[in-house]
Amino acid sequence: MTAAAPALARGNAEQRSPLALAALLLLPIAIVNAIGFLLPIINLLKLSFYQSSETGALVEIFTFNTWLRIATDTFYIQMLVRTTLISLLITLLTLLVSYPIAFFIYRSTGALRSIMVVLVISPLLTSAVVRTYGWVAILSEQGLVNNLLSFIGAGPYRLIFNATGIVIGLTEILMPYMILSLMAGFGRLDHRYEEASLSLGASPLRTFLTVTLPLTLPGIALGCLLCFVIAVSAFITPQLLGGGRVFLLATEIYHQAIVTLNWPVAAVLSMIVLIVFGAALALYARALQALE
Amino acid sequence: MADAHLVVDGVTKTYQAFTAVEDLSLTVPRGKLVALLGPSGCGKSTTLRMIAGLVPVSSGRIVVGDRDITGTPPHRRDIGLVFQSYALFPHLSVAQNIAFGLKTRGLGRAEIARKVEDAIRLVHLQGLAERYPKQLSGGQQQRVALARALVIEPSMLLLDEPLSNLDAKLRDQMRNEIRDIQQRLAITTVFVTHDQVEALAMCDLVAVMNQGRLEQVGTPLDVYERPATAFVAGFVGRTNRFEARGRGDNTVTLGQASLRLPRPVSGRIDIMIRPHRIRLHPLTQAPAADGQTNQARGTIRRITFVGDVIQADVQMCDAVLAVETATSQAGYPFSEGAEIVASWRVDDTLAFEAKP
Repeated sequence: MTAAAPALARGNAEQRSPLALAALLLLPIAIVNAIGFLLPIINLLKLSFYQSSETGALVEIFTFNTWLRIATDTFYIQMLVRTTLISLLITLLTLLVSYPIAFFIYRSTGALRSIMVVLVISPLLTSAVVRTYGWVAILSEQGLVNNLLSFIGAGPYRLIFNATGIVIGLTEILMPYMILSLMAGFGRLDHRYEEASLSLGASPLRTFLTVTLPLTLPGIALGCLLCFVIAVSAFITPQLLGGGRVFLLATEIYHQAIVTLNWPVAAVLSMIVLIVFGAALALYARALQALE
Repeated sequence: MADAHLVVDGVTKTYQAFTAVEDLSLTVPRGKLVALLGPSGCGKSTTLRMIAGLVPVSSGRIVVGDRDITGTPPHRRDIGLVFQSYALFPHLSVAQNIAFGLKTRGLGRAEIARKVEDAIRLVHLQGLAERYPKQLSGGQQQRVALARALVIEPSMLLLDEPLSNLDAKLRDQMRNEIRDIQQRLAITTVFVTHDQVEALAMCDLVAVMNQGRLEQVGTPLDVYERPATAFVAGFVGRTNRFEARGRGDNTVTLGQASLRLPRPVSGRIDIMIRPHRIRLHPLTQAPAADGQTNQARGTIRRITFVGDVIQADVQMCDAVLAVETATSQAGYPFSEGAEIVASWRVDDTLAFEAKP
């Protein structure tokens, strides 16, 4: 509030009260964010420059060693690339399976729409742990999918404790977020645009590609950003469905912090995840700008 | 009369229990502008959307030229459509919007550019080609929508309430422009509107609809002067309406007045008289009874000056008669409370048998 005071004195009568009110309303969340978000990140940043001793104890000296080691270690570089690629694949698959559902819900009305929305949201009411164990039961060697495949003489395929399991599990878990984002972004869609396109001689497929799809791009961008970020930071599902065989940033951070007790490495990896988020956000902002 | 271009033949549209359009038949001559006029919910927009192919018909046929298009999907109908909300593609510029239909037809770039330029000139939008729809005023958007529909040189043009989102002044201007363009291109056009002024002023033919049915099709003058039904008389133009009972001859009694009608009537009937067909006279100058006019005594309750006409409410027994007189330089010889005689021609006394 003290910082706002001179600005208030300078502002004219009309501007003063909304500005002061905005500052006042933003203050609580600003404090919460400062304590709960900004401080820990600064701490993490500090931690990433400390040294870990042989015994796991922290040595509070400033060094670039951890950063340099991770930046030159192909294990970590591959992990970063793998995490990004798997998350992108999950995002793409989530988009492909969610789009028709979101579109159908957006176009339906009345009770059907309400029921569909509830159905979409309902998985969020169960913990991701429970849903992941559900996938374990479905995808394991004796699971539903392989049992069904054995009927037609195929398989068994290895669908779990590898990247495939992670992709399948996370895609399903992220679908509600994608569907809700898509529906939020469908606001610009008016069926009159599609009718206009048809009346101008465009086939239904052409109408979808040249009118419907471009108009729903804001929703697609939002959903993809959200799902990519969640996929990169997801820990429980990759941990359980990856079976410790797929090395991803989030699981490695856990491993370094809890098992190996190398906090500086965990801190550096956390900062790298943050950088990936920043890049995704920048890309999203650029995409939105291009859409305007 | 030109040959029939569009034939709507006994078309019905039902939604579960609700009948939106019932057994509608309409023939539109080539190159003419036809209005579908009616109150909201009368089925006129549904009819237009069935012609465009956006709504499937429940029964009946739609024929354009010699081609039955009843089952043809909308993108193969070759019909230009302008929406009430214009429905310009928000992600495309004016030029791209207009080029949309040309691209779907696979025209070459140079040809598209030339046609788009021509279309932009046709609707007076030079210099706005690179703008986006949200940067345009309502009138400009309207022109883009028109250009986009016309540039593909469709066999027919359908306009769905194209003027209702414009302010009054712009509406008059666009009305004339649309009529000009329609006549210049001689394109068969169906124009949906709830505004009788638009329908009467712009169109070659007016089809009045009510509750999913066609009430009357005729020239604007026909519909106005010779309404076929009580609904048409009431919907097109102002009118006085009284209920009476016919006795099988061509007179009815209305309060204390006995009125002559142009034809014999029986049963419950509606009497309608246009306000501007009624003349007022001082008691001393009542016209002689000649069998060609009806007259009734009354008292002027209220006089309202509305520019080009003066409206008077005349109390006659328990009914009020609205009268309109053109404003003249000589002034208005009556004042509120004056006792007068109102007269009008027998031919202007419209009588309709009430529907059971």
